[in-house]
Amino acid sequence: MANKRVIIDPITRIEGHLRIEVEVDENNVIQNAFSSATLWRGLETIVKNRDPRDAGFLLQRICGVCTYSHYKAGIEAVEDALGITPPLNAQLVRSLMNQALFMHDHCVHFYHLHGLDWVDVVSALSADPAKASKEAFKYTKYPVATGENDLKLAQERVKTFVEKGQLGPFANAYWGHETFKLTPEQNLIALSHYLKALEIQRTAAQLLAIFGGKQPHPQSLSVGGVTCIMDLLDPSRMGEFLTKYKEVANFLEHAYIADVKMAGAAYATEPSVTAQAGTMNFMAHDLIQLNKKEFLFSSGIILDGDLSKVHPINENLITEEATHSWYSDNEPLHPYEGKTNPEYTGFKDRMTINGHSKEELSKSLDETAKYSWIKSPRYDGKVMEVGPLASMLVSYACGNEKIKKIIDEFLAETGLPTAALFTTLGRTAARALQTKAIIDNGMETFNTLIENLKVDQETCAPYLIDNEREYTGRFIGDVPRGTLSHWVRIKEGVIQNYQVVVPSTWNAGPMDAKGQHGPYESNLIGLKVKDISKPLEIIRVVHSFDPCIACAVHVMDLKGNELGTYKVDPVYGSSC
Amino acid sequence: MRIVIVGGGIAAVYLANNLKKQDSALEVVILSEEKYRPYDRIHLCRLVDGAEDKEGISLVLDPRVKLELNQKINTIDKQNKKVFSDTSMFSYDKLIIATGSVPVSLFSVEGIKNAAVFRNADDCVKIKEGVGRSEFVIVGSGPIGLELLETLNEMPDVQKITLLLRGSHLYNVNLSIDAIKTIEKCYTKSGKIRISYGDEIVDKSIENGEIKLLKTKKLEIENPFVVFGVGIKPNIETFRESLACGKGILTNLFMQSEDEDIYAVGECAEIKDLGFVAGHVKECTLEADCAISHILGKETKEFKLEATIDMLKVGEFDLVDVSSPVFNSEYEKIVIASKKEKRIDEYFISDDKLSRFIGINSNVDVGYIETLINKGEDVDINYLYQNRLIGERGRLICSCEHMYHQDLVDIVKQSGIGSFLELSDFSEAGRVCGRCKMMVSNIIQDSQDLIDPDMPRKSAEDIKREKEIAEVAKRIDKFNLLHPRNELSTDNLESAMASLDIGKHEVNSWISMVTASMQLHPSFEQVVEGAVCNLNKVPIVWLELADCSGNSEAFIKSTNPAIEELIFDYISLDYHELLMSASGDQSENILEDIIKNQKGEYILIVEGAVPLAMDGKYLRIGPQGETGIELLKKCAKDAALVLAVGSCALDGGVVAAAPNPTGAVGVSEALGREDIINIPGCPTNPINIVGTLLSYIMFEELPALDKLNRPLWAYEGRVHDNCERRGHYELGEFVQEWGDAGAKKGYCLFEMGCKGPYANVNCPTMKFNSGTSWPVQAGHGCMGCTEVGFFDKFANERKYVEEQES
Repeated sequence: MANKRVIIDPITRIEGHLRIEVEVDENNVIQNAFSSATLWRGLETIVKNRDPRDAGFLLQRICGVCTYSHYKAGIEAVEDALGITPPLNAQLVRSLMNQALFMHDHCVHFYHLHGLDWVDVVSALSADPAKASKEAFKYTKYPVATGENDLKLAQERVKTFVEKGQLGPFANAYWGHETFKLTPEQNLIALSHYLKALEIQRTAAQLLAIFGGKQPHPQSLSVGGVTCIMDLLDPSRMGEFLTKYKEVANFLEHAYIADVKMAGAAYATEPSVTAQAGTMNFMAHDLIQLNKKEFLFSSGIILDGDLSKVHPINENLITEEATHSWYSDNEPLHPYEGKTNPEYTGFKDRMTINGHSKEELSKSLDETAKYSWIKSPRYDGKVMEVGPLASMLVSYACGNEKIKKIIDEFLAETGLPTAALFTTLGRTAARALQTKAIIDNGMETFNTLIENLKVDQETCAPYLIDNEREYTGRFIGDVPRGTLSHWVRIKEGVIQNYQVVVPSTWNAGPMDAKGQHGPYESNLIGLKVKDISKPLEIIRVVHSFDPCIACAVHVMDLKGNELGTYKVDPVYGSSC
Repeated sequence: MRIVIVGGGIAAVYLANNLKKQDSALEVVILSEEKYRPYDRIHLCRLVDGAEDKEGISLVLDPRVKLELNQKINTIDKQNKKVFSDTSMFSYDKLIIATGSVPVSLFSVEGIKNAAVFRNADDCVKIKEGVGRSEFVIVGSGPIGLELLETLNEMPDVQKITLLLRGSHLYNVNLSIDAIKTIEKCYTKSGKIRISYGDEIVDKSIENGEIKLLKTKKLEIENPFVVFGVGIKPNIETFRESLACGKGILTNLFMQSEDEDIYAVGECAEIKDLGFVAGHVKECTLEADCAISHILGKETKEFKLEATIDMLKVGEFDLVDVSSPVFNSEYEKIVIASKKEKRIDEYFISDDKLSRFIGINSNVDVGYIETLINKGEDVDINYLYQNRLIGERGRLICSCEHMYHQDLVDIVKQSGIGSFLELSDFSEAGRVCGRCKMMVSNIIQDSQDLIDPDMPRKSAEDIKREKEIAEVAKRIDKFNLLHPRNELSTDNLESAMASLDIGKHEVNSWISMVTASMQLHPSFEQVVEGAVCNLNKVPIVWLELADCSGNSEAFIKSTNPAIEELIFDYISLDYHELLMSASGDQSENILEDIIKNQKGEYILIVEGAVPLAMDGKYLRIGPQGETGIELLKKCAKDAALVLAVGSCALDGGVVAAAPNPTGAVGVSEALGREDIINIPGCPTNPINIVGTLLSYIMFEELPALDKLNRPLWAYEGRVHDNCERRGHYELGEFVQEWGDAGAKKGYCLFEMGCKGPYANVNCPTMKFNSGTSWPVQAGHGCMGCTEVGFFDKFANERKYVEEQES
């Protein structure tokens, strides 16, 4: 029985550097899936033998999207190794910059990268603006950009795109797909927010640049603290941050979160987004420092979807192995001992069927051997999903009140059961809820900073590096796409070894020696695609993980027929 | 260094003046065999009719140049670097021979009272004395002969002139019958002139050094005055013994003879590889430039053949002749003639290319014709036909500067200049070969009453800029005729902007910002906007190689995302792995299609380094597993322009930092090409990418680049020089530790390892994220990310010098 091939038009404007090959049976159910990274830049090799103080700048270049995440991680791993505790001011500024990154990243992801998987733009054109305007009040008391006139205008605007051009974001080929579940009015509300978000994300990027100097690739962190002391001491600069923060937060609360609630209710019964997740193990780490001691999100591990117990993270149990990765050392190693010696075996030639239904010889992944530049990270030998869903679940299971309240409210308002959290829908919702938790509580960080600056203006801790000593240290913490860790070993004053385990490594990694699939792969297996020429379901699943923009996802059939563009940055690109 | 120039004409004076100008320490000597100071041979006719005396046509010579008259050189001692005249000896470090040419005559005119050649001031004196004889006989109808004919024709004391022509044509053998008739009519109208075609001198009787009777095939003329205008030949007899000669002294493309210390320039030189002997002032000056650059060891330039322009103005007609250096008799001709207007345009075409144009009373833009010939573009006859009447600028006055009558009048009106001298700020018209100097001068005088005393006067700069803008507008017009490459036209760009709620004022301020950042005058804004509207006409391929997408990301999200994102959609970004909307299978086809069918038209933007180790397999793209370098080569081959965006594309950036495990290099090195424009930065400020695209649309030619091939307008300024903390540097106020008192006051970050002094880019003025901040403002200092090898040199917080020492 021949497997059908799946052709997917390129997944436009996604953030990812991945190749994914999918095998589909006669019922359009995915039988097997493989995820691969096909570019290796070797930044872990380059950072070796360098002054540890320079690591952050170099590792920042892992990714142009998650740039701040790797910058901060590179700096803090070295601080950990050298035993430096940055002054509270520095910790809080870093936290504020991190909040700005989450606000920007999650908002852009939902509206500009993922949103059109849920929202049917063409349907929105036939909506009744008056009705839609009323509808908006169902999801928030203070809707944004959904007055009747706003909505009429949005309809008008988008008609221009749809009728006249191929203008970028609206050139999606899946309009009218039967798994779109929003009413025309609901679609129109989301569409109006899409347009508004174009403007908001600019402000959100400025928010990070206020303390960071620029975005992407900010440049104000230094080992020991931060350099933006002038900005901190300038009331008008702090005021600028506050004003922009509130402007962005207002949109997130009354548009983004409202829209996710709306979608949650509408998609509650759509099987392709409510099937149980392929991986039921979740790992998350502390995130968003609120004051001297407290973090907004909790740390821990959930196994087999059991929310009654949260296991503490034992960092010694984290390993990476390379059975199916293009490196020479297969065995699982702790990141401190990790090796990054490329052993590239390339592709396998096989006959595939191309987009014109013709057979052709292609370069395909060889899943029986090595097939990716991404390693397979495991915790105690187990696959872990990381990301906002994991973060929210762990905090929820920990009984973290701030988070519990938000999740319970969401479930109540949408009428979804707790089980709905462990799904594609749940994953997308969790990102919004994580955002809500940040904007509900993030001002505490700002206020603590203001209070602290009155009595303490330290921004950088002094330190010495003893060249005789050997140091090891790590950063581990959540970033927008999940748990990121940087592991550094310093000897004779230079970096002796450096390993980076990024969220997309956890999520997008290939099979391990036991044949366990990573979360991308396992969440695709078993997925039924209604119309193989419009595999929207696959895209939703892949997008729900928020693959990094440094990566373009390609979906391939088993035979290696490439269906979209791909280019992959392994550890070094499929970052946070 | 002592440079001796042999010769006394335009070439010698040009050489001397420019040598002195470029290096005032040089000792420059001119040795002229004439007894007069150097004068302009082009105006010899004015000596004949007495309009000027010898002083009037003398050339301006730098007073620091030593001039030796009456020095006919007869020997060169190459070994000891000396030249000898009958009376003197001169030693040289470099010798330049610029002896020009000697006229050809059918018999020797030496010692004959009523026969002359027409080459120097003494000849003019002789010809002038001949007025009063019964008849002038001019032999030959080249430009010189025709000009003399016109001069004599205008002189009341001259009764009769016979033009003796061996062939059946005037001016040039390639001219059409109609054209010859038109010229002929102009001459014969007065009744003084007769033209005898197919005729030549067969006999003459000479008594007492005087020709009494001249017999030609068809005529017998008593007591004539004969002037030979049959041609010239290089004046090199003296040098034949000591230097290798062909038609002239043989030289290389730098005008250097076989002896490395001896150069030859102008009509006496023959460029060996081209078999070329100069015949126009412009060619001579170009040769002189090549020789000067070679002698001074500056950026040397080889001599290149270009189209030449000849002009002839005789009473009622003017003639323009633009000829390709490769013009030969294998042509087809298209003639567009109007009897009524006595206008004839003759186009000589070989292999679909224009090789020559001769226009009589033509209104065609000669500058355009010249470009067409020099560029070797295929001829579009429709275009030429449609433009035959663009005559509102009047007649061409200065062929060297392409200055038309109306252009000069406009300059006078706008700037209020009153003399030829004042013109030099605005135009070189009348100054290059000097032929039209008098005409130019007259036009300036005649236009004085058009000056409105109340009007604000424009400076030379204003006028130059206006011209430039007009050029750009013309180029943009050409784009306007093309079909947009995506379906979004200029009309719906506006509606699209409206749909994204981008107001016109916002667009305008963005345009102003771009214009300013490109270091263009605000008056360019309109054409910048025109260029923006045409961005969708140029296909663009954006390749991502070993990169982090930071530049794409910055491009979409940074400066003014609402507008730039739209621009990003609006430009015909036909291929971008991350952002394009076409499908996967189609995407490959689109790329193939552009590469095959848009050769020389598309712009290639490359982001990321090129890994070369392991046969480039650290990066493989596409279903056939093509490596990054293979893909790059394929795409770059026929691109009109390759832009390397970001620091990785410059030199491998972070990916190529030591130990460079993937063998990464920049785009230029990977391709082995030096014509790649680099726009480095980590990330690059998007405005610099947009600006470079716009400048391509507006100016076509590459923007001025620095030694790293970065556009000067963006990368000329040193970060340190434009830094907001520079004042503190001058006062010696430095941050000594992160967060110290100086840091709180915004002191200079040099001691904290700021690399602003080593980095050239416009960050301090442009900043990032709509001007929100930049690293120095955030208290950190610059990392020199626009420079080569910045990760190994600059990406740290230590002073660069210290780093080197350790």
